[in-house]
Amino acid sequence: MTMKSKIKKDLAYRRIAGEMFVVDAAESALHELNGTAALIWEGLAAGKPAESIAAALTAEFEIDAASARADLDAFTAELLKAGLIEKR
Amino acid sequence: MKKAPAAFLGLEVAGYRLNFKSDSEGIISVLGCRYARFRGRGEGGYVFEAGQAKGSQSPFKPAVSLKGSGLKLERGDFAASLDLGSGRGTLAAAANEQCLDAFLRSLLSFLLIRDGGFMLHSAGLVKKGKAYLFLGKSGAGKSTLSKLAAEAGAEVISDEINLVRPVKGRYRVYGSPFWGEMRADGRPGSWPLGGIFLLKKAKAVRLTPCPGSEALKLLLRCLVTFDRSPGAGTAVLANAARLLAKAKFSRLEFAKESADFLGFLK
Repeated sequence: MTMKSKIKKDLAYRRIAGEMFVVDAAESALHELNGTAALIWEGLAAGKPAESIAAALTAEFEIDAASARADLDAFTAELLKAGLIEKR
Repeated sequence: MKKAPAAFLGLEVAGYRLNFKSDSEGIISVLGCRYARFRGRGEGGYVFEAGQAKGSQSPFKPAVSLKGSGLKLERGDFAASLDLGSGRGTLAAAANEQCLDAFLRSLLSFLLIRDGGFMLHSAGLVKKGKAYLFLGKSGAGKSTLSKLAAEAGAEVISDEINLVRPVKGRYRVYGSPFWGEMRADGRPGSWPLGGIFLLKKAKAVRLTPCPGSEALKLLLRCLVTFDRSPGAGTAVLANAARLLAKAKFSRLEFAKESADFLGFLK
């Protein structure tokens, strides 16, 4: 799923005080992402493929490849449902 | 020969000079009364050709949009345009305080964000020449705290909406004409920002450290903005990151019977 997803246009995001904050100005919504979620978001923002993002998770959080991929798929599904990312 | 406008008024709020020219006395008269304490010298700044218009407060929330240098501010009872390059604009508005308050709030909130600042739902106090802001949404105790401070002799900048912007690399809080329950007129002036507190009602006074992420969340929730553009979101996050880096944030629990919290302002 991740390979075919990208961050929705018109969202503003920035890492502040160690956490990723995403502002959807049109919806007046603020989303806060930490840890794994922030790393995945940064990967998506950089247009990285799923394999690369999963590898970053494995390295950063010392989890196995299968867990990293599961986390990635679960989170991208959440983001898609929340309307923060869209299919390419 | 060009006909001279019947009326003219200059205001200065948060360091912005706002001038209004009109052929009708209505709007100028209301602005003059409502913002009497904030009358400016009438030189430079933004100039609006103002005209009276009818309209309802629906839609109630102002809409703000920017295309190039053209700013548009609209609500059911006002429509304004401003060329940010030339500083010239027009305003058609109902001649009443509620309408002109909404217009000025939407204009100033836009200008403040553009210039690295904020319009914040907060109580603002002055102690020993410095300004302190107490962030809180409705019901957090802004007016209660402000009244306690006023009774104890502190100056209140506003019990509802405060205006802060960077000047030469340092943040200053400006006198605000926008008040809540205390319904004061405010006064012009500006003070260096001494600190920002996240407000919480409690049984006792207590000051605790505040993580940056918590401060940022409340800061953004207390931000007054009507600009829904992606550019506004980006600017707000950049402004917030700078403020978090420069200002001291703490969490303040306060009891409604005591002005002891003033002891923490130093």
